[in-house]
Amino acid sequence: MASGGQNRKNFSIVEKYLPYFLIAPALSYLLFFIGYPLSQAVILAFTDSQGRFTLAHVNYLLYSPQSMFYDALKDTLLLAAVIIPIQVIIALGLSLLLSTSFVGRDLALYIVIIPLTISDVAGGLIWYSMLSTNGFFNKFLMAAGLIHSPIHFFGYQYRAMEFLAIVLAEVWRATAIVFVILFAGLQMISKEYLEAAEVFGAGTWVKVRHIIFPMLKPSLQSALLIRTLFAFQVFGVVMVLAGRDIPVLAGEAYYEQTELYHYGVAALYALIIAAISVVVGYIYIKMFKAQYIREVSAG
Amino acid sequence: MRLSRNTRKAISKAAAGAIVAIIVIVVAAGIGYWYYTQQRGPTKIIWASTQLVPPEEQSFVKGTLLVDFKKKTGIDVEFVGMSYSEMITRVTSEEQAGKVTISVIGDLHGDLDMLASKGYLMDLSKFGTLPGRTFPKVLMNYAKLHGIQAYIPWMTATYVMVINKKAFDYLPSGLTKEDVMKGTSKWTYDALLAWAKNLYEKTGKKLLGFPAGPHGLFVRFLHGYLYPAFTGAQVKNFDSPDAVKMWQYLKELWQYVNPASTTWDAMADPLLKGQVWIAWDHTARIKDAIEQEPNQFVVVPVPQGPKGRGFILVVAGLAIPKNAPNPQAAWKLIDYLTQPSTQVEVLKKTGFFPTVQEASKSIPSGSLKVLAEGVNAQLNAPNAIVAMIPSLGSKGGDFKSIYITAFQRIVLQGQDIQKVLGELGPQLMNLFKETGAPLPPPDSG
Repeated sequence: MASGGQNRKNFSIVEKYLPYFLIAPALSYLLFFIGYPLSQAVILAFTDSQGRFTLAHVNYLLYSPQSMFYDALKDTLLLAAVIIPIQVIIALGLSLLLSTSFVGRDLALYIVIIPLTISDVAGGLIWYSMLSTNGFFNKFLMAAGLIHSPIHFFGYQYRAMEFLAIVLAEVWRATAIVFVILFAGLQMISKEYLEAAEVFGAGTWVKVRHIIFPMLKPSLQSALLIRTLFAFQVFGVVMVLAGRDIPVLAGEAYYEQTELYHYGVAALYALIIAAISVVVGYIYIKMFKAQYIREVSAG
Repeated sequence: MRLSRNTRKAISKAAAGAIVAIIVIVVAAGIGYWYYTQQRGPTKIIWASTQLVPPEEQSFVKGTLLVDFKKKTGIDVEFVGMSYSEMITRVTSEEQAGKVTISVIGDLHGDLDMLASKGYLMDLSKFGTLPGRTFPKVLMNYAKLHGIQAYIPWMTATYVMVINKKAFDYLPSGLTKEDVMKGTSKWTYDALLAWAKNLYEKTGKKLLGFPAGPHGLFVRFLHGYLYPAFTGAQVKNFDSPDAVKMWQYLKELWQYVNPASTTWDAMADPLLKGQVWIAWDHTARIKDAIEQEPNQFVVVPVPQGPKGRGFILVVAGLAIPKNAPNPQAAWKLIDYLTQPSTQVEVLKKTGFFPTVQEASKSIPSGSLKVLAEGVNAQLNAPNAIVAMIPSLGSKGGDFKSIYITAFQRIVLQGQDIQKVLGELGPQLMNLFKETGAPLPPPDSG
């Protein structure tokens, strides 16, 4: 019995520390790939070349006439505010449409998803060549006799049009990811609910409003979360279509780093993007999760 | 289902054992790798370069040049591409620590000037002359810095104008194709303005273009072309009455410049797509256009301004740092890279021009000839003011930023010229004071 007691003691020690052992790989992964770069970024942002604490980078970011921080923040938020609602509406419409069956549905599904496979820079270049003064779009309109001189989409003088071009390219390129998530969510809704609703005489709108939409909320949350986080990292498309005419946070970070060698300022931009992402993620999770649980428990 | 205690125990033990095994393997592999790299010793020399760093150029260096070099000499070379500020930082720290790993440095004149001024470079005259090749005297003079032969001229590059031949049908009165091709005194910035205006009025399109995108080299046009041509200097006269005239000129010219210029990083594409007929850019960045349609484009000297024809000559050199681990092998690499046949290969692949006269003679016909003729015409055009890019190390970015900010505020946003120059001028002068860098030619000479 004595040896049994000893065994039991050993076992409880193993049992006590095993969870820590088991999460150690994941934890070290997080520490190495997130903790380490994050602390390096903080160090870069708040120290000078001699390693002393400094607010020089912050001052440059906020007050230097060469810094475009406020424009970048404004334009990034504006782009997100315009692009995301359009994408969600289109993706929702498309996924509802494609859940019905019609001839050529599979083909349509593939076509909708194609832009997902194209990188953002490549997507930007495609739209750049289509919208340039002698690109397809202008040539088509001129051949059709609708316009006499080409419509300018690019250049500092045409920033409103550049903004439009970015919105077009982003909607085309990144709506697919929202669509895929919503479409998958839609597939998971049991047909029985809808059939039951039909039995009680519910129309399409009532079904969408009271069954599909509430049950789609978790998917909608993931889609919004992913899209919003991506929106704050928007970079390649903007660089190709507008250069720095329309500055964005990630683009300024890259420019400060590679062209101006302001490593501290670039690190600050990265930290700001990270902070915004954390805040947005927190808000979404709070907002959606609470409602979802309430509805389920109420049901 | 609840597992029995024994089963849980067994799983726990197995998991703990597996984790311990993984840790042991990782540590052992790390030690093994460290031991392996320590044992290998200096069989390789390191060639650090700020030039030929873009992926295609690097793959040419590693896959062709260095393979050929190893075949001929048996020496293994590791090519390490880096940015200008990285180069300065790394060489400085290696020299200060007394532990030099780099054997050959490939960098621009300005940086080598700075490294030589600190006493970090070997005097190359002790290796004797390189047989079978002649360097132009002017290049050799640039390479003699601070009392030593600091580097061997390796490659040159410049920025030129490219004209689509269609544009010659719209020349303004008083300007001939000959004037433009040869760079006579009639080929002035005013003539360029008249030409661009004429093109716009006759075709309805703004057919003059510059690479003014975020990664374009338009900033070089501002400080190395317009400023010397209008004020006689790159930096000294940043805020002067001549500079005000220059900015007024650029504002007027910009009315006929394709507005999409602010999104272009290189001019090859807009030229090929016909979006512009007259463009200015670095030789390497227009090479594609000329290669694809050698009969459609000509390369011509830049126009001249009131003070002369300002242009940047980019000179890259090869140097050996003091206390380099293997100077003999380093010198063999320099010998190889300056051979005429190697230099012609480099020109073909990258658009950088040879520094040895024997190589210039054997440039094949076709697109490269078009490019070389334009570059030679620019070098030999009258009233030349040769400008060099200053070496400000990590402050090089701020230097660019000041000129670009001036352009954005004056030309794009229409702010008052005097006010903008008055604000930015002191910042510019401060950069040279802070770093102690010498003013670049033509300011210095």
